[in-house]
Amino acid sequence: MARHSRWRIFLKSDVKTIRKIFGILVISLRAALRAKTVFALLMLMAACVTLLPAVIKGDGTPEGDCRILVMYTIGFAFAILCLATLWAACALFAAEIDNQNIQLSAVKPVRAFDFWLGKWLALLVLNGMLIMAVYSAVYAQIRWKQRQAGWRESVQLVSRHIARPILPTPREEALETYSFLEKQKALPDGFSKAQVLRTLADKARERYTIVNPGDSVEWRFALARPVATNEIVTVRIRFDTEYSTRTQVAGLCRLAPDVPGAQAVEIPLSDFSLNEIVFDVSCEAFGTTKSISGFNLVFTHTGDPAKTSAVMLRFRKDVAVLTQGGTFEANLVRSAIIHWSILALLAAFGLTLSACFSLPVAVFISTLLLLLVMVGTSVTEVVSQEDEKEWLQRPGIIVSRMVSTVAQHAIRMDPLDAIINGERIETAPFMDALLWNLLVVPSGFALCGILILRRRELASGD
Amino acid sequence: MDAMNEIIQIKNLGKTFKDFWHRPVVVAVKDLNLTIQRGEVVGLLGPNGSGKSTTLKMLLGLLRPTSGAIELFDGRGPEDVAVKSRLGYLPEVSHLHEFLTPRETLMYYASLFGLPHAAAKRRTNELLEMVGLVPAADRAVGRFSKGMARRVGLAQALINAPELLILDEPTSGLDPIGCREVKDLVRLLAKSGVTVLMTSHLLADVEDVCDRVAIMNKGVLCANGATRELLRNPEIVRFSIAGLSTETAADVRMQIEKQVDRPVHQDFPEMSLEAYFLKVVAPEANGQAFKMAHFLEK
Repeated sequence: MARHSRWRIFLKSDVKTIRKIFGILVISLRAALRAKTVFALLMLMAACVTLLPAVIKGDGTPEGDCRILVMYTIGFAFAILCLATLWAACALFAAEIDNQNIQLSAVKPVRAFDFWLGKWLALLVLNGMLIMAVYSAVYAQIRWKQRQAGWRESVQLVSRHIARPILPTPREEALETYSFLEKQKALPDGFSKAQVLRTLADKARERYTIVNPGDSVEWRFALARPVATNEIVTVRIRFDTEYSTRTQVAGLCRLAPDVPGAQAVEIPLSDFSLNEIVFDVSCEAFGTTKSISGFNLVFTHTGDPAKTSAVMLRFRKDVAVLTQGGTFEANLVRSAIIHWSILALLAAFGLTLSACFSLPVAVFISTLLLLLVMVGTSVTEVVSQEDEKEWLQRPGIIVSRMVSTVAQHAIRMDPLDAIINGERIETAPFMDALLWNLLVVPSGFALCGILILRRRELASGD
Repeated sequence: MDAMNEIIQIKNLGKTFKDFWHRPVVVAVKDLNLTIQRGEVVGLLGPNGSGKSTTLKMLLGLLRPTSGAIELFDGRGPEDVAVKSRLGYLPEVSHLHEFLTPRETLMYYASLFGLPHAAAKRRTNELLEMVGLVPAADRAVGRFSKGMARRVGLAQALINAPELLILDEPTSGLDPIGCREVKDLVRLLAKSGVTVLMTSHLLADVEDVCDRVAIMNKGVLCANGATRELLRNPEIVRFSIAGLSTETAADVRMQIEKQVDRPVHQDFPEMSLEAYFLKVVAPEANGQAFKMAHFLEK
């Protein structure tokens, strides 16, 4: 009986808390929708979605147009939303504290957590609506353009699982190289093990395989989902070669399923004029009735050694076997959700800054850190071991590394790139992005924000 | 004094404002001791900068005391959510969200108390009627005069039917009719058992409604006691008799002078300017007082 009544009290207080959070959410939404800046933002987004595809000149192909629609229009709108979210979040507490509106709310029986959550959810709702509007507008344009001549044939709105060669990870390769260098006593002086491993891993990630005329290279692929005989697999190879001899390059691809008794398919390749070769193979061609869960791919450079140069492949990134997986629309929705989760992360960050500082200070710090996130990744990629030795450069490198480490889960996935390449946004990285952007990192920010709000004096002495 | 009846206990309260480097800049409140009983109407008086508003903000948990302690309702601190659910606050400037209408404002503050939607709506309508804002209930507060905004502020302070009402300059910005209504409301609330702590520069207002006054100057409590006790001059006795003829009055005066062997001052009691103004301009003001009484009864 006592337990029952305790449960009822808990339930009652829980409902009350939800009502409080909902009240804060509603007032924050009202504030946003009745502010002129939000109206201006809506106009800007509308202009971005409708005018940008018309203003930016593509390469004249439907693929180029599609790339502009997806990459530039959504990318630009998302960038605007990032800044708007960050600044709006910075204003939510800071402005209320500055103009003393918060005094009336703070004396009501509301916990700092309820305030923080209510405002964050309001930003989530608003961003959800805006992201949905942007993606819907872009999708409508793509569908409309598909009615034009040439589009339907050239632009394939697909979503495909991507399988990359089975290889040791860059980290594993770096460890192997490190132990080899250690045995050879050839490790560079003056650098820590972590620094050397980081450099080796970076190099492994970007390493090229050079295929000279007459040479062959072989990779194994494990598919995320077995393919049936009535399906089609796509092989995509991106490469670099010398521009002047590109047309002389020729190759042969041999694709063999890992099913006993199945036959391999050989595809001669002669058009290396672009940096990418994509070809489809029907699984019926393998002459097996069993489903296929892996492939062996052999690429042979068949060009004339006297006339052509080598083909260079970043085998970790450039070689892939693609199989059908989901729809383009589902992929677009996943991309929208990832973008929305990044906005949620920015909202959490802005809200916490807003609880700590006045509006101008919060906006300045948030913008500075956003720039650091954007630059930090590039800095960490290009920084050399010599740069790290310079004591003047070290603080900058350390800060950039810290910022990019914190932000890596948010920026690691590029959903628009996946959409353009027809690659399915897989469930694992998708869930990982959501977990970090919507839960783990915002929880950390919320904790800091709540602690500060509880400690901070919300009024000034008159 | 009954400890169970003590709604506010302030013990050795001090507040020093510091600069960015934590150097003391202003001592706003110094060693303040004050106790307020349930159902009392207490006026906190003092010149500008005497520490009244700072004291109220510390009571509300908006500022942190540098020293001393505040206990509200059975020894709880001002930051306790359970305490906050039992008090109402009207700040000196209403600080309302300008983009909201009075109805939305009251619904919002009702939601912060976790009131169900239907109850919040009912309460909002009652309060709008009580403060006479029904015709303007759906106009943005940002376009309101100071007096109208004050009424919204007062309504929000009452949204939870508080046990303790803290009013910072409640009549500031109000016209005489509004002042009268607020004072009537405070009296009615006190009758219904609500404890009221108010500050005001208008001493007449405090005198009209407060059972007790505490006077602060330069952060220090200088006087504290029942209003009538503090204002009473025991050396002067006044008789009030209605309908006395001039001859009888002269006779009575002579008799008294004979008895006390001192000059006796005779005058005709004047009504206050506020009372005269209300008599001329708003004889219906009593109607509003009736609405308030009706609301409180409900």
